[in-house]
Amino acid sequence: MTTATPILFDCDPGHDDAIALVMAHRSPAIKLLGVTTTCGNAEVEKTTTNALRILEFIGAGDVPVAQGCHRPLARPLVLGTADGPSGLEGSPYLPQATIKPVKQHAVDFLADALRASPEPILVVATGPLTNIGLLILKHRDVLPKIKELIWMGGVFYRRSEIITPTEFNAFCDPEALKIVLDSGIPILMVGLDVTMQVLIEAPQYAELATIDTPLGRLVNDWLLFYEKLHRNSMGVGGAMHDPLVLALAIDPTLVRTRPVHIGVDLSGSYAFGATVADFWGERGEKENARIAHEVDADRFFKLMFDLLRD
Amino acid sequence: MERIILDVDSAGDDILAVLFAAANPNLKLEGVTTVTGAAGPIEQVTNVVLNTLALAGRDDIPVHAGAWRPIVGNAKADMEAPVHFEKRLVARFGDRLKKFNPPAPVPSRQATPGHAVDFIIDTVMANPGEITLVTTGPLTNAAMALLQEPRLTDVLKRLLVLGGNFQTPGNITPLSEYNIWADPEASRIVLNADVDKILVPLDICEDNRVAASMLTRDDIADMQALARDNPVFDMIADSFPIYIDIWREFFDLVGFPMDDVITVALAFDPDLAIMSEPLFVDVVLDGRIARGQTVAHRGRQLLPGGGPKTTRICTDLDGRRFLNMFKQTVARYERAA
Repeated sequence: MTTATPILFDCDPGHDDAIALVMAHRSPAIKLLGVTTTCGNAEVEKTTTNALRILEFIGAGDVPVAQGCHRPLARPLVLGTADGPSGLEGSPYLPQATIKPVKQHAVDFLADALRASPEPILVVATGPLTNIGLLILKHRDVLPKIKELIWMGGVFYRRSEIITPTEFNAFCDPEALKIVLDSGIPILMVGLDVTMQVLIEAPQYAELATIDTPLGRLVNDWLLFYEKLHRNSMGVGGAMHDPLVLALAIDPTLVRTRPVHIGVDLSGSYAFGATVADFWGERGEKENARIAHEVDADRFFKLMFDLLRD
Repeated sequence: MERIILDVDSAGDDILAVLFAAANPNLKLEGVTTVTGAAGPIEQVTNVVLNTLALAGRDDIPVHAGAWRPIVGNAKADMEAPVHFEKRLVARFGDRLKKFNPPAPVPSRQATPGHAVDFIIDTVMANPGEITLVTTGPLTNAAMALLQEPRLTDVLKRLLVLGGNFQTPGNITPLSEYNIWADPEASRIVLNADVDKILVPLDICEDNRVAASMLTRDDIADMQALARDNPVFDMIADSFPIYIDIWREFFDLVGFPMDDVITVALAFDPDLAIMSEPLFVDVVLDGRIARGQTVAHRGRQLLPGGGPKTTRICTDLDGRRFLNMFKQTVARYERAA
C-alpha cells in the first residue's frame, strides 16, 4: 500500500453512511481528515450525534466532526424514513458520544481544510449536497483544491422497476446539486444504477455472521433495521449506497464510468429533482460529471467485509 | 440611533445609500457587505463601495465582500441586463453613458478580511436585538447567513429589504423586480423567515405616484446653491445627471428613483412610509414568466398555506420629507472652513 488518500467526508448518518464511516476509518488506504454532517436521513443535530457515536465507538474520536446545514438551500426540509426517527435505529448498544463537534460550521471547516492542504483533496459526499453547495457559494477560492467530488446520488438509466424516477439525495436539495454541477469541480456521481446492485441478501448476511465482534454485531443490527424499507417496498435487501461510494475512494476500478452532461430538474412535479444524463450530447453542453454505470458487486463486498473484519 | 449593516450591490442608488448611511446622525453603520447584482461581478461591487467610503472620508467602516453568484439565478445574459440596458440609449446620450456604472478604479484600501456572511452572523449574534440588516441588492448574503446560522431570526432586530412589487409593474420582467428575481431562492428564504421585516417594493420607489422622492436636476441645482466645498455633492452633480436622464428616458420616471436610500431611511424613520399590517410574503420560484414575483398573503383563502406573518409592506411614502432628509444628510459632507 502506498500513502493513504486524504479525504473529507460529508454525510448524513444514516445506517449506510455509518458503515461507510467505519470503512473510511479502518482502511489503511484512507486518511479521514474530517467529517461534516448535513440533514437528510435525519435532522442535522441527529446525524451529527450519530457521526460522533460511531466515530467514538470505533476509536476514531480524534477525527474532527463539523455540523452543517439544518435545511436544504431553497426547499423545505425533507427527511428520509429508511433509517428511523433517530437516523440510526437498531443501535441500542451503541453508547452515547462523549466527544463533541468542532465549533466551526461544516462549510467553513471544509474550506479551511481545503485551504490548508498543499494538494487537492478528495471529497466524499453521501447525503444531500447542501453543504457542498453552500461551500461553493461562500468559498469560491477553494474549489481548485477539490481533487474530485464522489457523490452518492442521482439515477440515470432507470432500467429496473426497483429504481425510482428520482433519487433521495438529489430530491432533497436539487438546487445544491445544480450549483455543484455548474461549478466545474470534477464529479463522480454514484447513482442508484449501481448502488441498487449491491444489496445485502442471504449470502451477505452469512458473510457478516462470520464477523463475531462487537462491530460485526452492530453492523448486523443496523442492516436488519435498514433493510425494512427496502424489503417492504421493493422486496430486496438493504442497498449499500454509501459504502460503495466510500469503496470507490479506495478502489476506483470497482465501477465503470462515463463522462456526460448532467442536468437536474428544478421545476417539475413528478420529475422534481430528477437527474438527466445527456447521453447523446443533444443539448451540446460540456460534460460536467462522470457517472458510474457498472459495478463489480463481488469485489465490492469483499472489500467491505475485509474492512469490517479484524 | 439605529445600528445597521448595509448589504449592497453597488448600482447607482446603492452608492447614494452608502453615503447617506455613513453620514446620517440617526444611524451607526456597523459595516457594508457586498453582493453580486446590478453593478456586475463582486469585485466591481466591492471596489465601488470602497471608493465611495473613501470619498466619504469613512475608511474606518468595514467592507466585507460577499456572494459571487446567486443560489440558482437566471440565464447569464438576462442577469447582466442591468449592467448593459443603457446601451439601447447610445444614440440619445453618446459618451455621457460612460458615467453610468463605470469600471471602478483600484481602491486605496482592500476589503476587510472575512466573508460578508460571517460578518453579518458574528455582528448580529454578538449584539442580540440590536442590529438591523438593510439589503438593497439581491438577497444571497442574507439567505446564506440564515442558512448557516438559523438562530439569527431570534436575535436580528429587523430586516429592511428593498425588493418586490405589488401594484407597480416589475422592472426586470412585467411581474418581477430585479433584486428578488436575481436570486428568487434566496429571496424566498429571507422573506419566509420568522423575523420582523419591512419590505420596500417598487410601488413606493419606482412609480411616478411617489415622484416627490426622485432625484431631479432641480434638486441638484438646489443643492448646488447651498453647497460649499462638499466633495460628495460634487460627485453627485458630476455623476448623477446621466442616471436621471436614463431613468426618465428608459423607465418614464420623472427623476432618478432613490430606492436604496429610501430603504436605509426607513431603518430609523419608519414613519416616512405607510405600511400594511404584518403579512406572510412568498416568492414564485417557477422557471417561467412569473419567476421572482412577490406574493403577499392577504385576505382569506380556502386552501391552507402561508407562514409567519412578519413582513410589513410599504404602500406609500412621504417623498418630499424623504428627499429633504437626503439633501440635509449630503450637506453634512461639507468640509469645515
